[in-house]
Amino acid sequence: MSTVSRDGHHSGRLTINEDARRMIDVAREEGIETVWDRLQAQQPQCGYCSLGVSCRNCSMGPCRIDPFGAGPQKGVCGADADVIVARNLGRTIAAGSSSHSDHGRDILEVFLATAKGETTGYRIADEAKLLRLAAEFGIPSDGRSVSDVASDLADRLFEDFGSRKEHLSFVERAPAKRREVWEKLGIVPRGIDRENVEMLHRTHMGVDNDYVNILLHGLRTGLSDGWGGSMIATELSDIMFGTPSPRMSEVNLGVLRSDQVNVAMHGHNPLLSDVIVSAAQDPELLELARSYGATGINVVGLCCTGNELQMRRGVPIAGNHLMQELVMMTGALEAMVVDYQCIMPSVTDVAKCYHTQIISTADKAKFPGATHVSFDPHRGAEIGKQIVRMAVEAYPNRNPDRVRIPVKPVQMMAGFSVEAILGALGGTPKPLVDAIAGGAIRGAVAVVGCSNPKVPQDYGHVELTRQLIEHDVLVIVTGCAAVANGKAGQMLPESARMAGPGLRGVCEALGIPPVLHMGSCVDNSRVLVLAGALASYLGVDIDQLPLAGAAPEWYSEKAVAIGAYVVASGVKTVLGVQPPIFGSPHVVDLLANGLEGVTGATFAIEPDPAKASLLIRRHIEAKRKALGLPYEEVEEMAPAVEAVGTGA
Amino acid sequence: MTMGLRSERQRRAPRSVFVNPEHCIGCRQCEFACAVEHSRSNDQFAAFLEDPVPRTRVHVEAGDVPSTSFPNRCRHCDPAPCQQVCPTGAVSRDDEMGVVLIEATRCIGCAMCAVVCPFDVISFYPLAEGPDPQTAVAVKCDGCIDRQRRHEVPACAEACKVEALVYGELNELIRSGRVRETRAVLGAADLTHQPAADPLAGWHAWGDEILTVAAAAHMPGHNHHNGHGNGHGPAKSTNKSDGGSR
Repeated sequence: MSTVSRDGHHSGRLTINEDARRMIDVAREEGIETVWDRLQAQQPQCGYCSLGVSCRNCSMGPCRIDPFGAGPQKGVCGADADVIVARNLGRTIAAGSSSHSDHGRDILEVFLATAKGETTGYRIADEAKLLRLAAEFGIPSDGRSVSDVASDLADRLFEDFGSRKEHLSFVERAPAKRREVWEKLGIVPRGIDRENVEMLHRTHMGVDNDYVNILLHGLRTGLSDGWGGSMIATELSDIMFGTPSPRMSEVNLGVLRSDQVNVAMHGHNPLLSDVIVSAAQDPELLELARSYGATGINVVGLCCTGNELQMRRGVPIAGNHLMQELVMMTGALEAMVVDYQCIMPSVTDVAKCYHTQIISTADKAKFPGATHVSFDPHRGAEIGKQIVRMAVEAYPNRNPDRVRIPVKPVQMMAGFSVEAILGALGGTPKPLVDAIAGGAIRGAVAVVGCSNPKVPQDYGHVELTRQLIEHDVLVIVTGCAAVANGKAGQMLPESARMAGPGLRGVCEALGIPPVLHMGSCVDNSRVLVLAGALASYLGVDIDQLPLAGAAPEWYSEKAVAIGAYVVASGVKTVLGVQPPIFGSPHVVDLLANGLEGVTGATFAIEPDPAKASLLIRRHIEAKRKALGLPYEEVEEMAPAVEAVGTGA
Repeated sequence: MTMGLRSERQRRAPRSVFVNPEHCIGCRQCEFACAVEHSRSNDQFAAFLEDPVPRTRVHVEAGDVPSTSFPNRCRHCDPAPCQQVCPTGAVSRDDEMGVVLIEATRCIGCAMCAVVCPFDVISFYPLAEGPDPQTAVAVKCDGCIDRQRRHEVPACAEACKVEALVYGELNELIRSGRVRETRAVLGAADLTHQPAADPLAGWHAWGDEILTVAAAAHMPGHNHHNGHGNGHGPAKSTNKSDGGSR
């Protein structure tokens, strides 16, 4: 049901966006393979793997469980479907947590080097935030240099990656009641690397053979990301590159300029992209571009790098995950500069059909067919210029006859950090709490996560968000979901007209969109901070608040880690794509029902955005009722996974 | 009676799922796809929860040699021994598609069809379309007749990523195998008389390099033993003549 059928392969059914549709048609005409072609070639995908009942953790295997019952019900080691599904899910969470956390560590290293004055191109941009964090951790700052305070903060956060602490520093940001839940369950995250390593250990053959125990550690592993690696990445990025504040920008392939050198920044870490944006303003490089007939150098974002740059610098975004191949088919992209995560190996194949240079920069992420420029923060500014020069040098190779920029850009507003939201509210969550308590805003939902070619591109994000804001639910977006909503025109202050009367009134009073851009996928940590602040303000636990999360088009391991920490933090999460767990009805039952009595939140799976919207609204109204707030009856309906869970 | 059935076969070579057992990697995707295709939900996330559970009609059994296997399914014989012996007339042939079908409600579970089946591809399980959810009836490949009527490939062949199960006109499929064998035979005969490339050349070069480095850096004594270490040492020549095919 989630796969693209043969008759569904028309470009109009693969995406809701005009720019993507036009570029997919170009790809078809020119015989260039895209992600949708490869998904089609993979059909039908492995049923055992889709259900999570295949295991290749050891060499007695590989093994799989026959879900139809006639074949083997245990692997060679004796693991049944429950253990195999739980082990696989645990490793997926560890991979996702590791990705975010390694990104966080990279920023931490550059932060320390910058504090010591060892880098070029970086500075402490938000000293006030540095001092706030220092105060939070009890690091003295009176009469001390910024460099010393930053170094102490870096040392403190490095400890969070290790094994010497009882719990991560940022755990203390969670409401007291939530911390009690974690302590009772024994899932307080102790060390970022430790939880990930322990998950790999537990899922080795013959270690943790209790699927419940594995999944509980899965929650702890996720928490080490959300309240650890990701939060460190977000907070230190704010200190080094500026805490985001609301700003207008543009989105879709129309942000490319036919008369300029176009450079797309693709990946995740702002360490690289920030120096590139600076280098693109270098007078010498601008002069070089003009000497080749270009009128300027246009830096645009893709994926979460795009979100990082837009939130802080207003840089336009060309598109989300599924646009990374299509952006080259405009024929107008001189360079795609990549760091890591979500960069398809296929980009170098597509680039061969055009003049586009793929420039890889992270020594841990190399792409055969790309030009590798090893990024070294000690020479950040110089390397930034070197990369932009490569892009400018590619401009004369552009074939003007092949340039087709398919659409005009759409305006969007970004930059809603927690600080910015509280600022808009007058420095306290009270106005938001009052609006929710009074019922003008029913609750808030974080629509997050990736793009997945199994879902028509952006349909899940845009349709779910639209239905929620129509019913006075405030929506917070990050990652690919933010780009999708921006392209749909749902992220402007004027978009308040699309919202129900209550939400519309609040948005118009504050001059904000009904859909707030909170950043990249590591910035889901901002959602935790906001939820924690609201709960602490009210003296309740997070799971009592009328909140929910949704990942309508998720694809990546990182999204599974996010789901784990969001649910472990007490927020119900609705997934739009089936995770590989259905081979174990016990695991499904635990995640969809059993967790309710454990963390106060569960997962649900609902591919239909209309049904997901009803499910979420029903959940929000139930939370309102429990808090003694005015509530409404929402139409009854059973989501797909709960129906399956009952039948098992 | 059989004349009528045979006349259909004589007019045209049947379209069929052909098996290339040497391609089979034992992934069992065909079994999975077959069970889902024969479920009520036709949904891989829900099919295995149905009662009675849907069953595969293609069976991948392992060979004696590790990592060999054979995806075995009804060959839709004509005349079909199972049809000839069925006492209740539950087995019939669809003339248009050339497939042998079993009507579950007429099956009495005597297993005569399984006794005479030359390929042992008839098993007994309760079916959703059977007389009741508890009674086992004869279950075998129906050629995905619904899919074929829609001009779609049978589920097992669609699922197979390695062309161990391929669907098409029988003579065409057999011919493509013949082409492969022809190329293999001619390749082995090496009619061009070009010397075959030394498959271990990379290893030899690497070994020579190691010896050169070792000789230069730490082990001067080895210098004499291993010749000049310039990539054409005696060790390589010996190996080549030992391992060569001529």
